[in-house]
Amino acid sequence: MNRRGSGCLKDGPGVIGRNCRRVDGIAKVKGSAFFAADRKIDGMLLARVLRSRVPHAVLNKIDARSALEVPGVVAVYTASDIPGENRVGIIVKDEPVLVDDRIRRVGDALALVVAESEEALAAALPAIKVWYEELPGIFSPAQAMAGGAPAIHGQGNIQSVTRIVKGDADSALKEARVVISRRYTTQMVEHAYLEPEAGLAAVEDGQVTIWASTQNPHYDRREVARVLGIGQNRVRVVQAPTGGGFGGKLDISVQCLLGLAAWKSGRPVRMVYSREESMEFSPKRHPCVIDYTSACDGDGRLLAVKVKIVGDTGAYASYGPATLKRAAVHASGPYQVPNVFIEAYCVYTNNPTAGAMRGFGVPQVAFAHESQMDLLAGALGLDPFTIRLRNCFQPGSATATGQRLIQSVGIGQTIEQARAGAVQLGVLGGKR
Amino acid sequence: MKPFRFTATINGRPVDLPVNPHRRLLDVIRDDLGLTGTKEGCGEGECGACTVLLNGRPVNACLVLAPEAAGCEITTIEGVAPEGGLHPIQEAFLEAGAVQCGYCTPGMILAAKALLDKDLSPTDQAIKTAVSGNLCRCTGYIKIIEAVRLAAAKLSGEGDAV
Amino acid sequence: MLQPFNYHQPSSMEEALSLMATLPGPKKVLAGGTDLVPALRRGELSPAHVVSLKQLAEMREIKIKEGRVHIGALVTFSQLAEFRPFRGPHNLLAEAALQVGGPQIRSQGTIGGNIVNASPAGDLLPPLVALEAEVRLCRAGGERVLPLDEFLKGLGRTCIEQEEILTEAVFPVLPGQAASSFVKLGRRNSLAISRISMAAILVPGATGIIEEARLALGAVAPKPVRVPRAEALLKGRRPDPSLLEEAVTAVAETVAATLGDRPSAPYKKVAVRGVAREALIKAAPQFGCKL
Ligand SMILES: Cc1cc2nc3c(=O)[nH]c(=O)nc-3n(C[C@H](O)[C@H](O)[C@H](O)COP(=O)(O)OP(=O)(O)OC[C@H]3O[C@@H](n4cnc5c(N)ncnc54)[C@H](O)[C@@H]3O)c2cc1C
Ligand code: FES
Ligand code: FES
Repeated sequence: MNRRGSGCLKDGPGVIGRNCRRVDGIAKVKGSAFFAADRKIDGMLLARVLRSRVPHAVLNKIDARSALEVPGVVAVYTASDIPGENRVGIIVKDEPVLVDDRIRRVGDALALVVAESEEALAAALPAIKVWYEELPGIFSPAQAMAGGAPAIHGQGNIQSVTRIVKGDADSALKEARVVISRRYTTQMVEHAYLEPEAGLAAVEDGQVTIWASTQNPHYDRREVARVLGIGQNRVRVVQAPTGGGFGGKLDISVQCLLGLAAWKSGRPVRMVYSREESMEFSPKRHPCVIDYTSACDGDGRLLAVKVKIVGDTGAYASYGPATLKRAAVHASGPYQVPNVFIEAYCVYTNNPTAGAMRGFGVPQVAFAHESQMDLLAGALGLDPFTIRLRNCFQPGSATATGQRLIQSVGIGQTIEQARAGAVQLGVLGGKR
Repeated sequence: MKPFRFTATINGRPVDLPVNPHRRLLDVIRDDLGLTGTKEGCGEGECGACTVLLNGRPVNACLVLAPEAAGCEITTIEGVAPEGGLHPIQEAFLEAGAVQCGYCTPGMILAAKALLDKDLSPTDQAIKTAVSGNLCRCTGYIKIIEAVRLAAAKLSGEGDAV
Repeated sequence: MLQPFNYHQPSSMEEALSLMATLPGPKKVLAGGTDLVPALRRGELSPAHVVSLKQLAEMREIKIKEGRVHIGALVTFSQLAEFRPFRGPHNLLAEAALQVGGPQIRSQGTIGGNIVNASPAGDLLPPLVALEAEVRLCRAGGERVLPLDEFLKGLGRTCIEQEEILTEAVFPVLPGQAASSFVKLGRRNSLAISRISMAAILVPGATGIIEEARLALGAVAPKPVRVPRAEALLKGRRPDPSLLEEAVTAVAETVAATLGDRPSAPYKKVAVRGVAREALIKAAPQFGCKL
């Protein structure tokens, strides 16, 4: 048996097919793995964010004087304290670390309180006064895309459009034996990793070090450096053991705020989200509205698909443009379709931000294309396995984007085996 | 609000310290005693990451006010392994691949311990019930159930059988 | 983090009652804390004083004497689930207790807390209402006993007074031939509050007919409700599948009337049929006997 997870590589090629211990396993079963919230540094301060309760507003003024009088409060930082750029984002730099002009969602960070104790934080937050002018909120992409809708960001509410065109879908539709059109809607999903976001930052010798629960330390480092207006050589980000992420810890959470607090105060600072804060503030899976038209011939062979996908990316882009691009690329499913017209829109609203989550837009479209296959099969009296086998990719097939699949393509075999398994379990009759 | 004198036995060692009564057992364990193996995932009894044993029974340390645990025998994850080794449940979690991010693991192991301390040949249903107050977002639970089954076998002397 | 409060841990009932009588300002009794601590954390409650019952060991007992079952207010769900004498006619209590929360909640949560918290979905309430339980409320220099049904006022409301402590729930022992059940419908098996629950007690007569039926539903009204129409319908008849369907329909109709237009009404109107069917078959398997 391998101990400490180190044995397996040393033992050479024999590792394949054998159990290896994970390198972090022992610490995790003993409770000695230090997650970000478990770390402490002498003289450490605690931080908490004052967040917006309204979804859309112009921020006029923040007055933190009474909060600063609370015993134990060390500082309250607002946008004007940010030395570098106050915009972050993995694809588009559109999200403020602390709001400077406009509130775009419930949960936007307005001020950061740094204090000696939880008690001081709890007393200080309600003491901060915020003046804002509420604006009408936009809560659906349809509203956001309608003519005359106020722009949530300067450039308008459609953040990105991805179009995939192959052949001539409209003409193919006219020749098809069966055409089915449906609308599919999918919901927002929270990752709910078991560990809420947390981090700790300290400044030493002009260098800031951040230990954080994150999936993206290199990106974190770039953003912290930009926000603090310092070189990346002066920022070190350490990924603490991370209690689940599933895509939701790819974006910035505590990193820039902690960097700011430690940089400004000169003291180590720790911040841990409550579950409520994590739910409210972390990015979600994109809710999508998918209008899907499929067409096939009398044998169930797909002739064309036309798909329009509208993804609600909420107040900030996060991974939205890439997620919607991926949704578009996969919208025709694992099937050979000669004529394709796909459009995917990534749209801003005043809803919670949507970002990366396992599958990255693909689960949403899979729900649609697989439902369509079942409907087509039903219309032709085919069983659901048969129609899929007739259409699925083979070695040599071309995808909607023109990629030739020259290596292993497992979908056909997988479907055959799933059918055999279903027959064996008695949940499916033996014949086609 | 005067501090409460908190005396208890934690992982076999006596502790005696003043605590503010509005603090939760979880806060005392993590902050005052530095036993950070006990995790906070929700703070409201839903996730089980904060599970500790109180006189042998599993409880959510986030729902217990510290003075309520005074006089009790408390076991946290740090008290499970024998000196220099691992408890068979911990071994089993590693062997079965029941640990991924590890955030649920301490709570899961204590929930499993509460079961196996009383029953060394639990049914699968009993195992599922025993960990039903603990959420895991990574593993899908199957391997955790396997780990508890394996631990039961180890503890009842059947070694690596199963 | 919780807001600070003064904490008291009286070592006797007298001391506890006198604290309740004399402490100034809002005060809260603390039992298992599974409802109170989350409420304190969310800032929904901010009592000046919290009086812990922790040391009042006499309230941790279940006693059966003179034809009555006495359950101390501090008896936990785990205790109820494990109490051997509840394996017989009274197993609805053990079944209900076993379906509360998860193991951690069951180790801590108490019957007293469940009653005083008065949630429409409180899982011990339908069984206790079906058992026609009474609650004993003590205060410095006095006590009163009230039928539970009267004590519960609806969603989170009871007739307990600031200075009172609920010390026990009491109900008459069921006849030896009685059978009972509790069925809960939640969004999942554990850590789910009841969407609908039903407790059933059936007392068979000598010839196999139902001599007495008591049915109580949870989570369909601000407090648990008995179902007199279905109870009357069952009385004097022999359990079989057609009687089952009649009873289920009577339950469903009663529920349709209590639900009003809450958003969950359309769902609950249908789902209650399954809950009622399952509860009745569990209490009397003849209901399910093959058609
Ligand atoms: C994660 C989770 C899951 C849950 N699942 C369920 C479930 O499935 N079913 C269910 O029914 N409940 C559930 N609950 C709710 C809760 O566990 C129960 O209502 C429990 O019975 C409360 O008892 P307690 O001893 O913890 O009460 P406490 O929290 O200590 O008290 C609750 C209230 O009752 C008062 N009180 C308590 N005891 C007395 C007394 N003797 N005299 C006077 N006042 C008193 C307190 O002042 C307080 O207002 C759940 C709670 C959590 C956190
Ligand atoms: S932190 Fe205690 S149950 Fe989640
Ligand atoms: S291993 Fe990550 S939550 Fe269980």
